[in-house]
Amino acid sequence: MKDLLRKYSGPFSGMFAHWIQRSTGLLLLFYLFLHVRTIYALSQGPAAFDRAVGQFRGPFFKLLEIALLGAVILHALNGVRITLLDLGLPHQRQRRLFWTWSIGLGALIFLAGAIPLFLSSVLRR
Amino acid sequence: MTASVIRPGTRTYEVRVTKSAEIRSYPVTLGDRMTVLDALFQIQAELDSSIGFRCACRVGMCGTCAMYINRVPRLACKTRPSQLDSTRITLAPLPNLPVIQDLVVSLQPFFEQWKRIRPALRGSGSDQLATLPPDPETSRKRDCITCGICYAACGIKATHADYLGPAAINKAFLRIKDPRDGAHRERLQVLNDEWSGVWRCHTQFNCTVACPKQIDLTDTIARLKRALLTS
Amino acid sequence: MPAFWWYLQRLTGAALALLLIVHFWVEHFVSENLRRGDLTYDAIRTRISNPLWQTIDIAFLLIALLHGLSGARNILLDYSRIGRRGARIATAGFIVVGAVWAWWGIEAFKDLR
Repeated sequence: MKDLLRKYSGPFSGMFAHWIQRSTGLLLLFYLFLHVRTIYALSQGPAAFDRAVGQFRGPFFKLLEIALLGAVILHALNGVRITLLDLGLPHQRQRRLFWTWSIGLGALIFLAGAIPLFLSSVLRR
Repeated sequence: MTASVIRPGTRTYEVRVTKSAEIRSYPVTLGDRMTVLDALFQIQAELDSSIGFRCACRVGMCGTCAMYINRVPRLACKTRPSQLDSTRITLAPLPNLPVIQDLVVSLQPFFEQWKRIRPALRGSGSDQLATLPPDPETSRKRDCITCGICYAACGIKATHADYLGPAAINKAFLRIKDPRDGAHRERLQVLNDEWSGVWRCHTQFNCTVACPKQIDLTDTIARLKRALLTS
Repeated sequence: MPAFWWYLQRLTGAALALLLIVHFWVEHFVSENLRRGDLTYDAIRTRISNPLWQTIDIAFLLIALLHGLSGARNILLDYSRIGRRGARIATAGFIVVGAVWAWWGIEAFKDLR
């Protein structure tokens, strides 16, 4: 595990970013499936909708929701990074500089969103 | 057998070599400026004469000794164990290529892709310049020694037999940028394939990091993508 | 044609980033109730009976499906084992899945249109 981390987080950080992009992408696609399934219940009346949403009310799901926020932020910021590199941003040093963007900035935005979410929904249970 | 006298300025390494049927471990004592290739010569001369590996120039110019060293594709003659982060050195054949024996791989698939982009200059029939004017866009990309390291490092090549690979794409780029070449359209067509062309690249940067000649291959591919977008 | 899909992935990605911020804001932060976590049936119905929000939400879904399924297809295309022909069949499959998925999502609005 340590080898794997070392291999991908140092000079092979581009590969790490690729894995993150792929795995968050698939997770988000799966989430979209669940989301559309739940929202579909809107067309079946308030009882059906409340039942559908009620499936995801527990604190475990609220934590998953916060994890979802993390996945979205990572995927979006890394996507921006890739697009900028594709459009001609110089590769030297910029590549690793973007760790401050995808991961650093990502963590800040994540905390800005996750902490209020956590405080308002999880602690209230 | 090697003497177990530890001379100043030397260290003993455990060199694990993936042989065709198994992984064998050899103790090798090397000076700090010696290379993995030196270790292999020592193993072959004193410990195990059956070990198979390729080399030629020994100075990083021919690309023959490319292999997987501690799970990174590198040139054995340019890698010093003293600069690796462990005294255990694991040698394996280059990935993404068929193994002939021990550390020897066949570069045939690499050159199949190479040939697909028509690497030879095709004259355009007009006035031929004898030499190219200097071009900043291509000057740092001409040093390819066809070692296959980028091909071995590429995450897409790991699962995709038909993808061109960074070296072939880079060669095509050099030809396309060459004003003496008349086959630009043909080469761009090969590159523009969604299944096997530049669109298979996902900007992993493995090739650029691993290239022993420090060619920015990802940049080449990005430039070609941009060119294909606007054409 | 290949360049078109590569370009589209980035375009839809940028659009999604924007739409997502709007969506997240509207669902979690725009009112005191929502900040408390009370996302009720009525609150949602009120918002989506507005045709502007219907348009935005449906566009959001379609763009997300384009981006996500195109991405999933890319993952599949990276495995040459399926072959060129397999890739064409898979693409057709993705289009069908996308169409069904889109219909499923738009059905949530059916009695509001």
